[in-house]
Amino acid sequence: MSKQTKMGILGLLLVLPSFLVLFVIVVLPIALSFKESLTNASGGYDLSNYIYLFTNKLMRSNIIFTLEVTIISVLLILAISYALAVYMRFNNGAVVQWIRRLYMIPMFIPGVIATYGLIQLLGNHGWAARILYQFGIESFPRIIFDMKGIIIANLWFNIPFTTMLLGSALSAVPNSVIESAKDVGAGTIQIFFKFILPLTYKTLLVGATFAFMGVIGSFTAPFLLGPNAPQMLGVSMEQVFGVFQQKQLAAALAFFTFLLCSIMGFFYIREMIKDEGVKA
Amino acid sequence: MFRKKSVLSLLSVFAITSTILAGCGSSSKDSSSTDAGSASANNTATSAAVKPVEFSFYFSGSQNVKDLWDTLIPMFEKQNPDIKVKPVFIPSGTGAQSTYDRILAAKQAGKGSGDIDLYEDGLSTITKGQKDDLWDTLSSGSIPNLSNVDQQTMTDVSNLAVPYRSSAVILAYNSEKVTEVPNTLDELYDWIRKHPGKFAYNDPSTGGSGNSFVMTALYKDLPEEAIHNSDPSIESQWDKGFALLKDLGKYVYGEGIYPKKNQGTLDLLANGEVDMIPAWSDMVLEQVANGQLPASTKIKQLTPGFNGGPTYLMVPKLSEKKDAVYKFLDFVLSPEAQTVVVNKMHGFPGIQLSNMPQEVQDSFKGASEGFRSFNIGDLDKDMSMRWQSEVAAQ
Repeated sequence: MSKQTKMGILGLLLVLPSFLVLFVIVVLPIALSFKESLTNASGGYDLSNYIYLFTNKLMRSNIIFTLEVTIISVLLILAISYALAVYMRFNNGAVVQWIRRLYMIPMFIPGVIATYGLIQLLGNHGWAARILYQFGIESFPRIIFDMKGIIIANLWFNIPFTTMLLGSALSAVPNSVIESAKDVGAGTIQIFFKFILPLTYKTLLVGATFAFMGVIGSFTAPFLLGPNAPQMLGVSMEQVFGVFQQKQLAAALAFFTFLLCSIMGFFYIREMIKDEGVKA
Repeated sequence: MFRKKSVLSLLSVFAITSTILAGCGSSSKDSSSTDAGSASANNTATSAAVKPVEFSFYFSGSQNVKDLWDTLIPMFEKQNPDIKVKPVFIPSGTGAQSTYDRILAAKQAGKGSGDIDLYEDGLSTITKGQKDDLWDTLSSGSIPNLSNVDQQTMTDVSNLAVPYRSSAVILAYNSEKVTEVPNTLDELYDWIRKHPGKFAYNDPSTGGSGNSFVMTALYKDLPEEAIHNSDPSIESQWDKGFALLKDLGKYVYGEGIYPKKNQGTLDLLANGEVDMIPAWSDMVLEQVANGQLPASTKIKQLTPGFNGGPTYLMVPKLSEKKDAVYKFLDFVLSPEAQTVVVNKMHGFPGIQLSNMPQEVQDSFKGASEGFRSFNIGDLDKDMSMRWQSEVAAQ
């Protein structure tokens, strides 16, 4: 055996454990639930569950609702996190120090507790409404049991991590680049769009992917804060599986959610590969 | 050179981990063998003494059920030093079904009762076990206090189980705000329409109280025996009920908000957002006692009533420690233990109220009677499904 094949075998052996773990806990369940989702009421295989998913009024409205919540949440998360990270990167002073100390806190508060906190704060007779009432504002918009509540909860859960991610990317932007750009007369807006944004674009994509996956698969906040109908896919899946006990339909829902996530993953990976290609 | 080195270091890592793993394996073997040794030592020690009979009691539920048995079992063991109860608590939703399956599997394998000597569950499990001939027939000959239990309840379960506590869904309302308390379902629906936004019931798939409200509406105009019917053919008669619920949707809290879980509506009642809700009697009474709900909260059962019923204790037929279990059941049905049930859990006593102290009888006035035991089996699933698409998503 040549040395090269020996090293090749060793390499395969080293990859094997992680591949096996991936196979058993990711690939196999997906394959099994895909098979389950194709099973119809009489035991045969067809697309009836997926047809139901897209023709049933209730299910269709759940899917549209989930996509709406996810897209709005992801855009808001990215906008706020990016603004925060840029502010922390290029400013100094007491305010920045305080933001730096505080912005991670939501990560350390368990989801259920944070969700109940939001209910207490933003509910119909919650603190926010009571404080506004003191200033003579009597009508308070409905936030809890509405799409707004879910979006606010998503912001709370996702902003810290995304800000952290973008913060580290921004700190990798060398000061010398910005200074030399300034020296040749570039304005603030030009510097931002010509240098900072392109240099952090990849991390922005990573942040978007993480936020998307987190929001689309969320359960606690939509379950406790969301409206009874339409529901987000996670809540609907639990109901279909646990209450209606339609395993096949729940599997179809799960597989559909997986597809949505893998579309997002596809764009992410394609972007990464493109980048590698440029480097090489 | 470099490669050789990395291979070497890899090998040494493997060697180290494998020795550590091997060490773990042998040490755990050691500890288990000492365990066995001490256990056998224990056995001989106890057999030398009085040798108390120990039986296993499987029960499931929320924390309040566990607290109840944590109080009752020491009381019993103090009175009967020759019997030990080994409680096995299965938190609700985690494995009640598997306990039943264990009893059944042990019987089919000819292995007695699978070391389960007493089991707590609801009506559907008794009916299921009756078909499989799992439960022991109980009589007041071996359990004297059984004569205090309502004989009709015992006949309903063919004397296969002991109802030791019960609760029912009732109407809970804020007596400071509600002046005209409804007595019948129609009066309740009228009240809801006249007071928009002041009534809430929870999503029926997430809790029994909202479930009962929906079920009661569906069966309002159906014959009385329909509530024990689990044949799908009756579903076509639900239309009128769903139309009613759909209409009520405009008048309930937030023009169609149905909170999640039994506690969801109780929270709304507690902070004054609504004035009336359907709720479980034991939850309301307990939370009033703890101050979580205002003292002005009152409860009332309608005629015809909401869903309710006892929780039962069953003895597997093949248990070998029946005598000890009978003694325990006799204790559970004694007025002394039943008072604990009332005070600790705010459940209705399993024995007839007339056997209880006067103040207990007074506290349950208007709540412990008039409920109906719905038993519609799997139709419940279809009900939640139709509710979700016709009432929630209108």
